[in-house]
Amino acid sequence: MVVIDDDALATHRQELRRGTVVLACLLILERPDYGYALLEALESKGFAVDANTLYPLLRRLEKQGLLTSEWNTEESRPRKFYRTSADGAELAATLTGDWTELNTAFRTLLKDES
Amino acid sequence: MTATLTDRYVLAMLRGVPGRQRPDLERELRASIADAIDDRLRDGADAGSAEAQVLAELGDPARLAARYTDRPLHLIGPELYLDYVRVLKALLSAVLPLLFVAAGIVRFLDGAPIGRVVGDAVVAVLVAAMHIAFWVTAVFAVVGRSPALREKVRTKWDVSALPTYRIDLVGLIGGAVVTALLACLLVLSQTVGPLTGAAGEPIGVIAPALWESGALYLGIFFAAARIGFDLLGHYVGWGMPQAVANAVLTVLFLVPVIWLTTGGLLLNDAFFAALGWPRAVISNVLVIALALMGLADTAEGFRRALRRRPTTTTSEGL
Repeated sequence: MVVIDDDALATHRQELRRGTVVLACLLILERPDYGYALLEALESKGFAVDANTLYPLLRRLEKQGLLTSEWNTEESRPRKFYRTSADGAELAATLTGDWTELNTAFRTLLKDES
Repeated sequence: MTATLTDRYVLAMLRGVPGRQRPDLERELRASIADAIDDRLRDGADAGSAEAQVLAELGDPARLAARYTDRPLHLIGPELYLDYVRVLKALLSAVLPLLFVAAGIVRFLDGAPIGRVVGDAVVAVLVAAMHIAFWVTAVFAVVGRSPALREKVRTKWDVSALPTYRIDLVGLIGGAVVTALLACLLVLSQTVGPLTGAAGEPIGVIAPALWESGALYLGIFFAAARIGFDLLGHYVGWGMPQAVANAVLTVLFLVPVIWLTTGGLLLNDAFFAALGWPRAVISNVLVIALALMGLADTAEGFRRALRRRPTTTTSEGL
């Protein structure tokens, strides 16, 4: 049996996960949250992502109009809160549909195998 | 007051970001770093190592800035790389042989010995190659950083761009061998010669004055450049730049040769007198033959370039 080396394995997993972080962010941010809290939330729910990937991603999604942002200065440390926009929610619904379809397709595939 | 690690990190990151984005980015990044440090302190880390760890995880601030601004971290990206290589190959293979010959002729007319002529021509080619490579790279790097320009420059590939014929190896090697044989024959006829004079000295086909001037070395130099040019043309693919360079090379070679022949400077009167042939007629025949060969070669060069061009017939059906 061929043993896949660690680098190749890491690349394959990264390829598979690419894009899932966007969907996870759009779903979690239905309720407004700030950068670090979102990072923690993603990690605790099983979506591993690096801070240096997530923070620029939030800016990019905001620029595309999928997120809106607002500064919250009520607490001692001012934080930028992001929230999924109407466009963002629409995209999230589409992507969720795609994800469900893929999941069904894989399940069918696995059932056929066994 | 000394700057903290965080201050230095934020400053380094902001340097890679346009001015108007800076205040907002700085505020957010500082809050994110502070949140992450607090989290680690709650887990029992000491203040110094917590800060260092958080910043280390964020990585090189220049890389983070590039991610924030969507700037590419490569000189020439995958969208432009193939076009970049094509332009570079076309320019180098068309311009360098021409330049080699032109520099050689200029140095020869200056009266430089043949060794210097070749040496200077090689140096000129190396300098030109570096200039071409540098400027083409610089232009592509700039274009790659401007999305509007990038869209304009990128060529769309379709099946009609496929090369239409195989490399003509027989023609290529045959041409090189014939050129080398002719040069050897010329040198032999001049030095050991089939014809000898009254004192037993060889009578060459080329006028002695021209032979002694070393102009024939220039001919061999030409032949070498020609072989190199053909090889390059076959390697990178024959196109319009090659066809134009081929025409210029032919003119550069034929004009001096025809001028020497009609002026009676090329052929040796004694050789034709010994054979009993009229030199004037031979001269005219030679001039006409050379001119026809030059024309045929130039026309063939353009024909090959046009044949490689994408045909419109296949795309009309789409």
